[in-house]
Amino acid sequence: MSTQVHANLTEEQVRAISDELDEPEWLLETRLDALSALSDLDMPKVIRTPGRDWTNLDALDFESFVDPLEGAEQKERVTAEGAEVLEWSEAVAEHEALVREHFGSVVDTQENYLTALSTALFSTGTLVYVPERVDAEDVKIRTTVDSRSLFNYTLVVTETSASVTILERQSTGDEVEGDRYYSGIVEAVAGENSRIQYGALQNLSEETYNYTLKRGRTDVYATINWIDGNIGSRLTKTEVSTELAGDSSETQIVGAFFGHDDQHFDLDSKVWHYGEHTTADLVMRGVVDDTARSVYEGVQYVGDDAWNTSSYQRENTLMLSDESEADASPKLEIDNHDTEASHSATVGQIDEEDLFYMLTRGIDRESARNQLVEGFFVPVLDEVEVGELRADLRELIAARLRE
Amino acid sequence: MARLEIRNLHAEVADDEEETILEGVDLAVESDEIHALMGPNGSGKSTLAKVVAGHPAYRVTEGEVTLHLDGDEFDEPIPEDKRTWDLLDLEPNERAALGIYLGFQYPAEIEGVTMVNFLRTALNAKFEEREELFEDEEDEEEAEEAGYDTSPMEGPADEGEVGVAQFQEILRGKMELLDIDDRFADRYLNAGFSGGEKKQNEVLQAAVLEPEIAILDEIDSGLDIDRLRDVSTGINALRDEEGSGVLMITHYQRILDYVEPDRVHVMLDGQVVMEGGPDLAEKLEDKGYDWVREETYGTA
Repeated sequence: MSTQVHANLTEEQVRAISDELDEPEWLLETRLDALSALSDLDMPKVIRTPGRDWTNLDALDFESFVDPLEGAEQKERVTAEGAEVLEWSEAVAEHEALVREHFGSVVDTQENYLTALSTALFSTGTLVYVPERVDAEDVKIRTTVDSRSLFNYTLVVTETSASVTILERQSTGDEVEGDRYYSGIVEAVAGENSRIQYGALQNLSEETYNYTLKRGRTDVYATINWIDGNIGSRLTKTEVSTELAGDSSETQIVGAFFGHDDQHFDLDSKVWHYGEHTTADLVMRGVVDDTARSVYEGVQYVGDDAWNTSSYQRENTLMLSDESEADASPKLEIDNHDTEASHSATVGQIDEEDLFYMLTRGIDRESARNQLVEGFFVPVLDEVEVGELRADLRELIAARLRE
Repeated sequence: MARLEIRNLHAEVADDEEETILEGVDLAVESDEIHALMGPNGSGKSTLAKVVAGHPAYRVTEGEVTLHLDGDEFDEPIPEDKRTWDLLDLEPNERAALGIYLGFQYPAEIEGVTMVNFLRTALNAKFEEREELFEDEEDEEEAEEAGYDTSPMEGPADEGEVGVAQFQEILRGKMELLDIDDRFADRYLNAGFSGGEKKQNEVLQAAVLEPEIAILDEIDSGLDIDRLRDVSTGINALRDEEGSGVLMITHYQRILDYVEPDRVHVMLDGQVVMEGGPDLAEKLEDKGYDWVREETYGTA
């Protein structure tokens, strides 16, 4: 059923990007395969409620904002002792075997139209490689988009008993006339008994359409924790997910978002329990103001062989205006009944009695509202183990409230 | 000395005009006095409290609620033309800034907002709002012409708001006064508090905000005997230490063993139907509300 961009994309463009990064032949072939698959691929699935597609990706005019050869950015990479944090050309030069083993192993390059587009066109990327038994704190990757479009790729690999904390931020730099597009794919491969903590904070300009997919796979006893903050962008379609493949592995997916004006957030949190004794905890809180919209889908899938699973999910959305809209669907699919699971979602407005209580203490309506909203985010912020990310997120929320 | 005066107050539920719940209430409370407002369930006591505080669910159809200030209540003298306020014209937070406090029967539980931050915000908001209410437009203009700033009603310090450290000090003092656990300060506002802790917290907040008139709605319900004693100590301190006037709503005699009221008012069917000294409460204890009904409407 798709779509528009590929009409003006060429093999030559893809070859030029790959060549620029000195990529090996197999990777170029993977990119070219993705390019030629575009015409057969659909957009990622979006929530439908009766009579409504919440996010219409097919209607986006990709042709107007995808500019494959002009990708420009400022990148700041902070490495931690013992870990390797490499830009993409170095990654393929120094760790080709590792990259070849894992590239596309967690996220199918042709999973949908937008992953294939990103695979064909990514011009910047990062490998975070943490060897056995290394504890790496405070890896940072900051991407400032200067061009109309940017396609970014990140691969995280932790070997046995290694651990890493990564903080990724996206924002926009130079002004560009008209709409922009950012696409980011993150694959995380957590080896036996290793731990990946991946925090991301998206604060792109409100002319930017944003597609991100972050997915990890755990080996036995491994942990992957995601924190995903979404503040910026015109439209965001994002998935954060973990495949709990190894026995006794666990994941936490924490999300926070704050939409205002005409922003649109479409957010998926997903976990697949495949191994035995696995644990997942999905927590999301968000606020929509003005005419902003949010749609959340949380999926907990428990496979046939996933004995002794624990899986929890809770989502809360707060609407600050009568014109904002929110939808939330938590889903639980269980094929093994040796499972302890819960899922809940609420969509609501500020409680008038709470507000009145604060007014009677002398606090004016606006500060009362701001305190209630900041308080609403606290349970999620408390789950954020990366201090710097927590502080940044809190500051962005406070700034938005005081706009 | 401040005086809250309620005259012939009629009110109905805002989205239900048929239901009238205050039918002409007359009542006055002054600083340095504790008044008990008693009456059976449904007599309109809690509604009266909410109407005076400005709850949006009620509409006043007749009557007045006035706050008279002497002029020496705040840090600087209040000009004569700013001493009488028609509270019904004001927002709830403006009423609070002038010194009206409402202690709730069911206090809101607010997650993520610590007591200490909440109360510091409230205290500063109160000073700021007060400054706006007392701002003299002519003075302002003259001051502007003269090239300097005057603000007749600054907060506690002319240099601006109460800082974190200063506030910690204030809060610690009040908690000591009311014998409240230190950990209260860093807990989220009423979230996960026991019934008794919530009530104690309502009194603590009053002590921090130092109102002219505190209306405490069923502050004694759901308290065990120890907590009742603590809360009572707090209420007595409001009068004796802060000089506040207290209107204490209750339908139990129990708390009056610890807090001796200066005046007792009895409500029935949306009106104050009896008034008297402390002995009235004792009489009520003996004879019950049926006696009030009989006295009011004659024997059936």
